Amino acid sequence: MVEVNTPVRDKPKRWDLPFSMDFTNEAERREMSFSDLNDLFAKKPFSEMDASRFPDSLPLASIVANDTRIRLYREGDAIVRQGDYGNSAFLILDGDCRAIIEGLDPAQLGRQADHSKSLLKSVKGLFTNALAPEVRDSRLYPQHRDKAVFDPSGTVFVQDVPNILELSPESYSEARHNIIPEGSLFGELAALGRVQRSVTVVAAGPGTTRLLEIRWQGLRDLMKYDNGLRDHVNELFRQNGLKGAFQMSPLIQAIDLDEEQWDQLLAEAEFETFGSYDWHGTYQQLRKRDEDLLTQEPVVQEEGQYPNGLLIIRAGFARMSRRHGAGEYTFGYLGIGDVHGLQELMHNVSTDDNSPIQTTLRAAGYTDIVRVPTRTFEQVIYPAMMKTWPDGNFPEKFLGETMERRKTAMSTRRASWRGDRRKREFSGAPMMEFLAENRYINGTATMLIDLDRCTRCDDCVRACASGHNNNPRFIRHGKIHDHHMIANACMHCADPVCMIGCPTGAIHRSEGGGEVVINDVTCIGCGTCANSCPYENIRLVNVRDQSQDDALMVDPVKGKAIVKATKCDLCVDHHGGPACVRACPHDALTRADMDDLLDLSEWLNR
Amino acid sequence: MSIAALVLVLLMLTPYVIGYRIAFSDVVVTSGWLLFAVVVFLSSYNLRKKLTYPPLLKSSTWLQMHIYLGIAAMVIFLFHTSGKVPTGHLDIALYALFTLMVASGLFGFYLTRTIPTTLSSRGNEVIFERIPLFRRQIKDRVEQIILQSIEQSASSILAEFYESYLMYFLSGPRNVLLHLVRSERTSYRLRHELRESDRYLDEQDKVLAAELDDLIKLKDDLDFHYARQGLLKLWLFFHIPMTLVLLIFLVAHIVLIYAFTYGGS
Repeated sequence: MVEVNTPVRDKPKRWDLPFSMDFTNEAERREMSFSDLNDLFAKKPFSEMDASRFPDSLPLASIVANDTRIRLYREGDAIVRQGDYGNSAFLILDGDCRAIIEGLDPAQLGRQADHSKSLLKSVKGLFTNALAPEVRDSRLYPQHRDKAVFDPSGTVFVQDVPNILELSPESYSEARHNIIPEGSLFGELAALGRVQRSVTVVAAGPGTTRLLEIRWQGLRDLMKYDNGLRDHVNELFRQNGLKGAFQMSPLIQAIDLDEEQWDQLLAEAEFETFGSYDWHGTYQQLRKRDEDLLTQEPVVQEEGQYPNGLLIIRAGFARMSRRHGAGEYTFGYLGIGDVHGLQELMHNVSTDDNSPIQTTLRAAGYTDIVRVPTRTFEQVIYPAMMKTWPDGNFPEKFLGETMERRKTAMSTRRASWRGDRRKREFSGAPMMEFLAENRYINGTATMLIDLDRCTRCDDCVRACASGHNNNPRFIRHGKIHDHHMIANACMHCADPVCMIGCPTGAIHRSEGGGEVVINDVTCIGCGTCANSCPYENIRLVNVRDQSQDDALMVDPVKGKAIVKATKCDLCVDHHGGPACVRACPHDALTRADMDDLLDLSEWLNR
Repeated sequence: MSIAALVLVLLMLTPYVIGYRIAFSDVVVTSGWLLFAVVVFLSSYNLRKKLTYPPLLKSSTWLQMHIYLGIAAMVIFLFHTSGKVPTGHLDIALYALFTLMVASGLFGFYLTRTIPTTLSSRGNEVIFERIPLFRRQIKDRVEQIILQSIEQSASSILAEFYESYLMYFLSGPRNVLLHLVRSERTSYRLRHELRESDRYLDEQDKVLAAELDDLIKLKDDLDFHYARQGLLKLWLFFHIPMTLVLLIFLVAHIVLIYAFTYGGS
């Protein structure tokens, strides 16, 4: 039933706001013209695409017109910066680019860690918060951009860096950067793999470099219906993934490899994928059917097998388990950059024994791994390790999780505690099982609540609401293990599957800290992200119009309320970090990075 | 913790130091103003809770300070009053209010340290505001079971049990005081009564009775959470308004002291 005074708004659709109009800087906003499109379709790879292979609902011309934009860069402009989370790939139309792998200081690249509101604005918000729920300023929406200032966020700010490069002559030297020629595609790894950019790319000129920026939703659709592009991107993905994976591993970063060793490593390493890229769908189905997840997870390396190489996790997660009676129990998990099988390989290379793999490794959802064959390990990595740590005292953080180490940690804690209650180990196998089984291992800012301390005062909920126009962005409710609750708050996943399928790119990584945030302006309320989130941490809400006495916004054609996706944004707009953590009087709440098992154990066993 | 302990010791010593330096000139006035300042600071914790921004230290840090300064306030109060009950009506009221505040604070400290553990060790975790909804759902399910029992069997045993015991038990929060002392006597009796009637039930009703037993347990757990979470909320409902009353009395006390003691002289 529509209220009489309900303001009428067009229902948002995927291409309401073309990518070419999605700029913070008004001067850069420009719709793709026919001439632009003709120019693009005359160039590879578009000239080789068969438009008839695209469905009527997703025509090739519409994808290019709406999911791409042309960008111009002067020589030295940074196009992508190492460490940023990217949502788009780039095709070089005219000119060259340079990839700078190392040497640039983040500060030199103008990386701003702080995109927060001013303190005054945050404080003012406390007194001007709306009384009704989910009130929006409809003038900001693209359907009304001709009437008011349109200020979409989430676009890439490109820093002008010629001066920086002059200051860092080394990073600009031929030895340390690679030329990316005209016609090349780059940035697809970060865009499709939801990982950080591994290199900084700058325009190499001379003159103006013209690039086509393709948001990942468009790239995904182009790859889906054009085999040539798919094969090309997959090949690039494989090559760049391999290089990137090594750079992400703390072990490989710590050892000193010469050029020859690097070449051998890159030539002989194998790249494998286990599980499904869109694992969340399968996971949800299995949970509904109440099936044992562990037995459904693909085995990467099995306990008792010959160690056929050093495994490095490139993307996704892996569960470590050990046989126990008729089943298996989980005692840990691995994330990006972690290694598996290192201890066994080191043992075998330094003794005459042939120790088999001690733990089974399974893909928890999906796992991309890089396998360094045993022979390559013996010839390249092990000698480099011995060179770096000649006394054989390898830092524990590089050795990976082992059953023995976990047991030692447990017994140490037990010995240091008094009282029966605290003698229990809260980060032991049952907790690991709980975290892996429910895929909470994906979280980088998981909301953990210690129910033995929480007085249920809801100060956390109120603090959250006060920073979000009176709308709490989480529910103090969720699955419980022992006395620890994982609340229904966005975990800002290492692998944010909610981003898969977002047709407009409204849900994206923030550029500073990589938090997963939703651009309310470009969100069309399709619910794809909410349906994809395996943890039910995204909510669709009916929005109200501030300029119309907070009445519900309604689509005039269908008569349905306009909805938007909402979730915890980790108070990325405000100073002081997550308000929920600061508001807890009893230190019962934390936002934990599940990749940091040491910190997690410390908190659980306080 | 060690910093907090140091602050506490310094605060406790402050009146003596001040008292020594001013050589008995006006120890009561100095300790009075110090006490007033401490009480104002203690009261500001609630304001800090309301003001999420600017980020002025974590709430847990404020609570630590609140606890230690609260203890310090007790010491200063004893010093200020010389451990004697005053004689004037307003002063007696103020004395009683302060004592009540201290007692309320200590009681709150005890509650916040003991109740959470009991909540996490019994029943499902439940949001306080949603308890009436769950209670209603349990009641509806129980009524469905009773109707099913009446339809499927000739026996009215479960219906009578509902009328005699369950109707009242399910219609609102029950045994609040017993739950506060963690007694399960009433629910135990209720479930025992139900099990006793098991021998008179046919096979179909036995299945329904088993489900009833589970629902009674569920409702009892809800009551447990209602009583204990409710006590925590009720305590704050008492402690915070009391603070405001205390501040008003303190201001009145200061005004009167200056008006009639110093003003008079």
